Amino acid sequence: MNIRGLVFLLVSWAIIIGITAYCFWQIFRAKKV
Amino acid sequence: MPKRKRETWGTKLGIIMAVAGSAVGLGNFLRFPVQATQNGGGAFMIPYFIALVLLGIPLMWVEWAIGRYGGVFGHGTAPGAFNRLWNSRLAKYFGVIGIFGPLVIFIYYTYIESWILGYAFFSLTGQLFAAVDTNSMLSFLRGYQGLVQNQFFSGIYASYTFFVITFLMNIWILYHGIKGGIEKLCNIAMPTLFVFGLIVMIRVLTLGAPDSLHPNWNVINGLGFLWNPNFEVLKNAKVWLAAAGQIFFTLSVGIGVIITYASYLTKADDVVLSGLTAVGMNEFAEVIIGGSIAIPIAFAFYGPSGIVDVARGGAFNLGFVTMPLVFEKLFLGGLFAFLWFALLFLAGITSSVSLAQPAVSFVSDEFNIDPKKAVIIFGIISFILCQPVIFFLGNGVLDELDFWGGTFALVLFALIETILFAWVFGINNAWEEIHLGAHIRVPKIFKFIIKYVTPAYLLFILGFWLYQEWIPLILMTGVPDQNRPYIIGTRIALIVLLAVVAFLVGLAWKLKGKEAK
Repeated sequence: MNIRGLVFLLVSWAIIIGITAYCFWQIFRAKKV
Repeated sequence: MPKRKRETWGTKLGIIMAVAGSAVGLGNFLRFPVQATQNGGGAFMIPYFIALVLLGIPLMWVEWAIGRYGGVFGHGTAPGAFNRLWNSRLAKYFGVIGIFGPLVIFIYYTYIESWILGYAFFSLTGQLFAAVDTNSMLSFLRGYQGLVQNQFFSGIYASYTFFVITFLMNIWILYHGIKGGIEKLCNIAMPTLFVFGLIVMIRVLTLGAPDSLHPNWNVINGLGFLWNPNFEVLKNAKVWLAAAGQIFFTLSVGIGVIITYASYLTKADDVVLSGLTAVGMNEFAEVIIGGSIAIPIAFAFYGPSGIVDVARGGAFNLGFVTMPLVFEKLFLGGLFAFLWFALLFLAGITSSVSLAQPAVSFVSDEFNIDPKKAVIIFGIISFILCQPVIFFLGNGVLDELDFWGGTFALVLFALIETILFAWVFGINNAWEEIHLGAHIRVPKIFKFIIKYVTPAYLLFILGFWLYQEWIPLILMTGVPDQNRPYIIGTRIALIVLLAVVAFLVGLAWKLKGKEAK
């Protein structure tokens, strides 16, 4: 795996984990589960 | 007769799990890694994320909003919802595809789902590991499907038994309704699926180089095979189409199932955050889990030249031929193979129940029939419709249904619903509708995207596919002569089915009109 591959993997994972975590945080914050 | 009170979801998390369950399917774990590998590796993620933002997320919000809007008026499917968006006698007929499409997909999807259940069972009993190389594993699959009689299977009996079990499981879940059936299933199945996925993923990522003679055949290089970017491919329009297609299939947009699920919300329920959460869960399953299992492990065992053949063999061979062979070579391989097929089965069943629900809701809502009775009617009819897929599998019936129900109908329906929502209903009304009860605001740029970019993107996909791939398919180029009668028969049957659904839509409105008078 080259460095560019690693960057693409990490950035993609970060975007997805970020969006998902943000959504769940908003849902639980609104206490409307 | 008084109008029946419609069910609602028990919790907000329940519908999010259900929509995510509908979206997370076999494609997340098999189709995505193959598509990424064949279309530029890491560079594929550029058009993939662009399609997610311009196509996937807007369509998700559009469908959630249309569904909730229709549900307020007691309509759980596209004909009723479209009729409310556009006050025209024609509007309801544009929604026919929203019942026809998922029904067609359900007919073949349930059968494929049953193979996975069978393979999970054979993983535990060890029967699957009687096949030790690619040819014998292919022969195991063909024997199981009843296409040939061989040392593994003497007929279609095993396959048919697992089909009946799978089919009855689907009907049993649907029979228990939205809250007691689908929501309960998804609340259990989705976390289980993620746990199984993470266990298999961790096992794969800690595998290292299983063959000491080939230290370069390792999981890290397997990830590299999937992720190392080849920017040259971005000049090719096909790669952009492949990315858009993957987003389409993976999110279950354009089918009509999200409209039905969202119709069981109440008017004050949020759709913006819920829709985005379902997208996030689906992407987690696809990119993070799906991208870290099949291709990396296959690379570690088959090496750089073998993996090219594996990827070329397509998603289906990867799942049913390569993966069992790879698991055979692992310590506790039977257990990991079971976890793999179990997670695929959970992904499958949470999708198949969603595909059945539009037809059930239509019968129940528009003919004012008890939902349990509607499930039984649906069960009997769909069971009969499944039979040609099972017995004429080798004659291309399944592929034909997949093209019309699972590809063509999706893009067409997405285009229709976006135009109706953004142009006919009006983008200002649409924007207001999306934001009713919303926990977060959608950035204003999406008003422009939903009105102009998404429909233009869909038109481009429809036109390009028609030009490049669909015309040979429609003209049956390359189809063996002996299969042509079956393909023509399937097409006639699909036209009849579409006409019957359209007739029932017309009939439902006629009866309601008489009742109102």
